[in-house]
Amino acid sequence: AGLHRVFDLFTSTAAEPWPESATLYQPLKEDQILLSDCASSLAVQAYLRMCGLPVQVVCKANAEYMSPSGKIPFIHVGNQVVSELGPIVQFTKAKGNSLSDSLEDVQRAEMKAYMELVNNMLLTAELYIQWCDDATAAEISRPRYSSPYSWPLSKILAYQKQWEVRRKMNAVGWGGKTLEQVYEDVSQCCQALSQRLGTQPYFFNKQPTELDALVFGHLFTILTTRLTSTELAERIKSYSNLLSFCRRIEQTYFEDKSS
Amino acid sequence: MGTVHARSLDPLPMRGPELGVQPDDIEAPDIEHEPKQEVLENKNVVVQQVHIEGLGRTKEDLLTYEIAEVFRAKNLIDVMRKSHEARQKLLRLGIFRKVEVVIDTSRGEDALPNGLDVTFEVTELRRMTGSYNTMVGNNEGSMVLGVKLPNALGRAEKMTFQFSYGTKETSYGLSFFKPQPGNFERSIALNMYKVTGQFPWSSLRETDRGISGELSFPVWKTNQTLKWEGVWRELGCLARTASFAVREESGHSLKSSLSHSMVIDTRNSSILPKKGGLLKIHQELAGYTGGDASFLKEDFEIQLNKTLFWDSVLSASLWGGLLLPIGDKPTSIADRFYLGGPTSIRGFSMYSMGPQSEGDYLGGEGYWAGGLHLYTPLPFRPGRGGFGDLFRTHFFLNAGNLCNLNYGEGPQAHLKKLAECIRWSYGLGIVLRLGNIARLELNYCIPMGVQSGDRICDGVQFGAGIRFL
Repeated sequence: AGLHRVFDLFTSTAAEPWPESATLYQPLKEDQILLSDCASSLAVQAYLRMCGLPVQVVCKANAEYMSPSGKIPFIHVGNQVVSELGPIVQFTKAKGNSLSDSLEDVQRAEMKAYMELVNNMLLTAELYIQWCDDATAAEISRPRYSSPYSWPLSKILAYQKQWEVRRKMNAVGWGGKTLEQVYEDVSQCCQALSQRLGTQPYFFNKQPTELDALVFGHLFTILTTRLTSTELAERIKSYSNLLSFCRRIEQTYFEDKSS
Repeated sequence: MGTVHARSLDPLPMRGPELGVQPDDIEAPDIEHEPKQEVLENKNVVVQQVHIEGLGRTKEDLLTYEIAEVFRAKNLIDVMRKSHEARQKLLRLGIFRKVEVVIDTSRGEDALPNGLDVTFEVTELRRMTGSYNTMVGNNEGSMVLGVKLPNALGRAEKMTFQFSYGTKETSYGLSFFKPQPGNFERSIALNMYKVTGQFPWSSLRETDRGISGELSFPVWKTNQTLKWEGVWRELGCLARTASFAVREESGHSLKSSLSHSMVIDTRNSSILPKKGGLLKIHQELAGYTGGDASFLKEDFEIQLNKTLFWDSVLSASLWGGLLLPIGDKPTSIADRFYLGGPTSIRGFSMYSMGPQSEGDYLGGEGYWAGGLHLYTPLPFRPGRGGFGDLFRTHFFLNAGNLCNLNYGEGPQAHLKKLAECIRWSYGLGIVLRLGNIARLELNYCIPMGVQSGDRICDGVQFGAGIRFL
């Protein structure tokens, strides 16, 4: 009888229904959010829509500091707070929603490898362009990042963030790269993705997975964000199947509202 | 007429001519050498010179104000009294370790027959003093290093630096204090600090980095202070289990505020006073000199004491405060008031009263708290005259309320809200006085009027602090 109760408790927590009040937090859309955060947030939103889980997007100036890991986005579901795509995928899986259940182990390993590629290449390139390229940092990143705060706090926080990202870039070996090299890396990553996608609608046959959400998040944001130069967007546009992939996901999952 | 024995007004070594009656007919044949004695009657004297000896880096012009009064003395008693007052003034500058007064008759060419020379022999404090303490607090130990430069530039400026390195947090502060020469009550102080605090009752961690400048001056019987403060506040959750309401307050904000406070203190002591009263009114306006936070904050403190029969003291105190946000932004958890605990409403847990969310207390925008105490010496007065005098028993009655106010409604509605759901408690305990700054209490409390969400500590409660309701 005791064991039965424990089992009940376990299944009931895991199978707690997804509440209507689930919320996703990100920085202010108009004035504050930067390319990398916007891409990560869009990836999570796409994933949740693919799972059919409704979520409300709330913009808060201190979203980054509210997040338990310091990274955007995070979701508030019931009384739990989960941040970043990886943990959110695990969280939804525990609730019985998963997009990659039907994959075989080999495919799942491949999916994880491509997700690592996107994180190590695309996300790092976005961070590099935002904070290590002086022109972009001065014209776009620093003003946007510090917009909710008053002087001199705005300056302090912007430079603190820049210094932190530059230190991280040095740690992963990107400190010495030039902008051209970064664009090349992005091209190579897109080529790998394009080859894997081929003519299929999604990366793994006909059903989207978290990899599709992640790739969509990053590519779509790069294509639709204004930077100091259009070079990055151009590199992606040269792969037509990636373009139609983004358009397809936008039309299928985001058609009710403009992003 | 008559003679005067030079009695000090307080135990000071005062050297000077022996003053005593010298009967003319007594003669001790074997005394070879009699010190010449003079009889100074209580007649008019003129203070011709006032010196200060032993000055190193202190600038003389600072001290002329303090000793100027001595010149005005007209007779010997007056000279002694004014010298004593001047000595007190020199000591309160905080730059001398010792001050001794020597009154002597004038010597030299210009000496008048009734002239006096007054000399202040001072020993300056060392240029730099250091201190090292270890502190153990709530789940945290820390090492505190202090460096003090009294009289840094020669005019009683004081510079202090304190550094606290703890198992959890690190804080430091630098401050500079300068009194106005000639008017010690007027002073300016500049501070720079980084302070970190952990508040488990709110599951909140706060780091403040700030600078402030304040100006203090007396006006009639009151002491006024004007201050500008700029603080960079960083709030964060103390644990992953913090409530979402506290998580929403995480982040950075900048507060730039002007504040004014007025203090009238007629008590004979700040800890366990026997008589007198205290009135303190403080207001703070933030947002008009920059920064993100924008509010007007008012708070006041009143205390009255009266000695009753048999050495017992009746003490009544009242605290209150109001926080009005200016503009659309809601108030920050760092600016709101907190109530409850052994230093305010006894019988409740520390700051665990009022608006809360999932067990984290969020503070309130308006509060009031009152206390009525009867302090008596310990029963049977053990250790009387010595250690026992530091203890008191007290019977207390505390009441108060803390809530958020909806500023759309009028003041009538606010008063009504503050009068609803009053928490109160009563009990008795023992108070121990620590020096002149702090006190310890051990009480047995019975909390009443407890609202849902409040955390109580009924039964025995221990408290230590500086400011008690």
